[in-house]
Amino acid sequence: MRHDRGWIALAAIGVGLFLVPVLWEVTDFAVFYLVFLSGILFWVAQATSWNILSGYSGYFSFGQGAFYGVGVYTMAVLFGRHGWNWLLVILIGGVLAMLLGLGIGALAFRLSSLKGEIFALLTLAFPFILAGIVRLFDAIDGGQGVVVPVPSFPELLAPFQKFYFVLSSAVALLALTVAYLMHRTRYGWALFAIRDDEAAAEGLGVPTFFHKMIAIGANGLIGGLSGAVVALNLGFVSVEGTFNLTVPLFVIVMSVLGSRNHWAGPLLGAVYIHTLQNQLASGGFEGWSLIVLGVILVLLMLLAPEGLMARFTRRPALAGGVFVSVLVGLGLLRVWGDPVSWLAAALGATAVVAFLPGGSARVPGLVTAGMMTGDEGDPLDVTSIPPSDGSDGPLLVATDVAKNFGGVKALRGVSMSVVKGELVGLVGPNGSGKTTLVNIVSGAFSPTSGAILLNGTEIVGSRPHRIAHLGIARTYQIPRPFSSLTVRDNVAVAIMFGREPRRLGASRQAAGEYLDLVGLGRLADALPGQVNLHERQLLEMARAIATKPGLLLLDEAMAGLNPVEIDNAVEVVQRIRASGVSIVLVEHLLRVVNQLATRIVVLDQGIVLAEGDPGLVMKDPAVVKAYLGRQADAPGD
Amino acid sequence: MSELQAAIFGALGGSLFGLMALGLSMGWGFLKNINLAHFAMILLGGYLTVDLATNLGMSPVATIVITAPLLFLVGALVQAGFERFDVSEFNSLLISYGLLIITVQVVTNIWTADYQRMAPDVNPLAAESLRIGPFVFPAPTLLAAAFAVALVVLAQFVLEKTYAGRALQAFGQDRQIASAFGIDHRMLGVLLAGASGASAAIAGMLIAVGEPLIPFSPFEWIGRVFAIVILGGIGNVKGTLYAGLLVGAVSGVVALAWGPSASPLVVFSLVVLALVFRPQGLFPRKAGH
Repeated sequence: MRHDRGWIALAAIGVGLFLVPVLWEVTDFAVFYLVFLSGILFWVAQATSWNILSGYSGYFSFGQGAFYGVGVYTMAVLFGRHGWNWLLVILIGGVLAMLLGLGIGALAFRLSSLKGEIFALLTLAFPFILAGIVRLFDAIDGGQGVVVPVPSFPELLAPFQKFYFVLSSAVALLALTVAYLMHRTRYGWALFAIRDDEAAAEGLGVPTFFHKMIAIGANGLIGGLSGAVVALNLGFVSVEGTFNLTVPLFVIVMSVLGSRNHWAGPLLGAVYIHTLQNQLASGGFEGWSLIVLGVILVLLMLLAPEGLMARFTRRPALAGGVFVSVLVGLGLLRVWGDPVSWLAAALGATAVVAFLPGGSARVPGLVTAGMMTGDEGDPLDVTSIPPSDGSDGPLLVATDVAKNFGGVKALRGVSMSVVKGELVGLVGPNGSGKTTLVNIVSGAFSPTSGAILLNGTEIVGSRPHRIAHLGIARTYQIPRPFSSLTVRDNVAVAIMFGREPRRLGASRQAAGEYLDLVGLGRLADALPGQVNLHERQLLEMARAIATKPGLLLLDEAMAGLNPVEIDNAVEVVQRIRASGVSIVLVEHLLRVVNQLATRIVVLDQGIVLAEGDPGLVMKDPAVVKAYLGRQADAPGD
Repeated sequence: MSELQAAIFGALGGSLFGLMALGLSMGWGFLKNINLAHFAMILLGGYLTVDLATNLGMSPVATIVITAPLLFLVGALVQAGFERFDVSEFNSLLISYGLLIITVQVVTNIWTADYQRMAPDVNPLAAESLRIGPFVFPAPTLLAAAFAVALVVLAQFVLEKTYAGRALQAFGQDRQIASAFGIDHRMLGVLLAGASGASAAIAGMLIAVGEPLIPFSPFEWIGRVFAIVILGGIGNVKGTLYAGLLVGAVSGVVALAWGPSASPLVVFSLVVLALVFRPQGLFPRKAGH
């Protein structure tokens, strides 16, 4: 349903943009309005392209001016100085800016240390470096500025303002379409997952590097196209006028104001900010524009970081009603101002309504009780699960795996294997290396030495998403859900990027099946922050099995639970195993291990101390000494 | 000018950037704020120095008697605001960006967008220089280096030898544990931010003594100062000074060899190299949520 609404909105914008020049021919309204609208469209393109990287993926960029500047100077040099075909030059400008983006991405996204804040700070430098280069080379600018003559265009599109409006419309529509398509497909959802928890996304099979490159490439391409187009309108470009604060600042304020999570957020922000700027300028307050923008940015970040879009969608009828009635009312009365100030007044009134208290976030009705009463179905009879006979050959074989953290030897040559259908309990005292082993098998860490074969394929050195695609899924001891996505969508992302990838709609439908398997069906529309620890741990499991793994690594999936919740979790694990997934269970609670495991591996100080049948291993004196001695007073037995 | 002189000259100038980076680095390391408003305070410090020296006839260096306490207050207030609204590390970056552009515009409206510098009779230091061995150094550069070294030594001393300093270190490593041991992080944070503000006032004065200012100067400083923060190690006081000297020396030599426009490229490359070869330890990671 939402799907269709988006297309309808996009189509309406497209038709509206097409009608404006037609209407202008007919009614002959002032050329100023074409210029005004073109200004909005320029910002729509810039802010939307910025939002694809910085809003969707959370890799915040202060460097939009670099992409914009590449577009501007491509037009200035190739068309202005050398007289190339302007249409071709627009495309070249887009491609060059995209290449710049991909170059920055290839550098920055390779480094795992280069997250969030550091990336943002690095992007502060890009426009200044480009400005230095442009100023340095006389072939580009040399500090003198470049004249961009008026291009020749078809008579049909005359005068220039109409021609420029058409070009701006085309780029803005392209930007919105790309942003919308990404919002509706895996390309956007990969970025949402990256924004919430990049490591967890990678572990679920999201090729994070690839998708970040797509995002920064799209950011560069559209930013460059738009920069090349606007250069035609500028007539004269200079280093100071191009690589300044304006573009990076405006796109940030617009997107923060509109919404960074929604494809149309930057559009909304662009309409607001450009109209406001226009009002400030016509009122003689140019000197205040940065102050006003700065104040808006600070207040929004402190009070409403989610932006206007979220407010409007909460009370759409009221917002729409106020907007239309103020705009139409002022238009009919004609007692004050011009159409742009009517628009400004309508926008302002709508914003005030949106920010009125009272329409607080709609909290989905939660049913958190009654979850673990065992009424989700008959408890499975463990004996009904076919015992593994090893005839399929080993699923996972780890040989002599060692891991050093500086001088600390976390693992000192661990060899173990998992046969299809097994549920191996991996136990050991704190610091024995259990979680390190999980991290190595899932690809989050690479071992210092050793080999790990999955179905005979070496997986050491593969990126986590590759390992996920080969059939290993893991959960985290402290759940790491994608906090801005609902419980259902958390699972849907895992399906979209799992071993049998599906589209968004199909994934959402299929997600219910996995939620039912772990007993979370009733919380499908809640946000992870609204459910309790036990439910988040169940979500971890649902998300992991949604990738269709052959082997599931459960890292202390029952830590911190009460006895009733533990019983429920045990039952869920049995159900997962019954569905044909082999499991390695890292667990402290011996009761749980004894109940579930077909075999036990005991780690102590980075080596395998003992392994075998749960009953026998636990009687081994060495195990008793290393493990039970410290756990003898543990509850649960 | 020989490469050696360029390197020494650059290193001395770089120490001033080290001083500018000091407050930022400590705020980031200990308070988990990335405070771009620090640049706004440096800018204000510079313009106030010009204004006070020109209009009140004060000695430029002496203006810090007024500007340092004033900006101490500003820094402390900003930090108190961050505390009040429980601003995350990332949001502090955006909010302080807003504060920075507000300041830039206010400075433009008060002092115009043109270059501002003190007249020679107001600022006699600018014309003086000192011969040391075979090299001649302008007095403002030497003054800046002396202040930078003195303040870094002072900061290091406070951090290592005083209760407040150790509490700050504890707080930088683990906020919750430190709070559990009774460290009043709010007071400490406000004091540190105030001290950063005062250091910004001094840095602003030193810049004003040495060169003309424009309202957009902060955006020329940001790249280099953050390069120093990252190279020196976030929250590492001595490292900040060393990184300042290093970046200054390298920029000096590069500017001599390939022209001034090339030095940002080289500094930027240095940062990337640092991120590649020394990522761990340099970059405290936030815990997953």
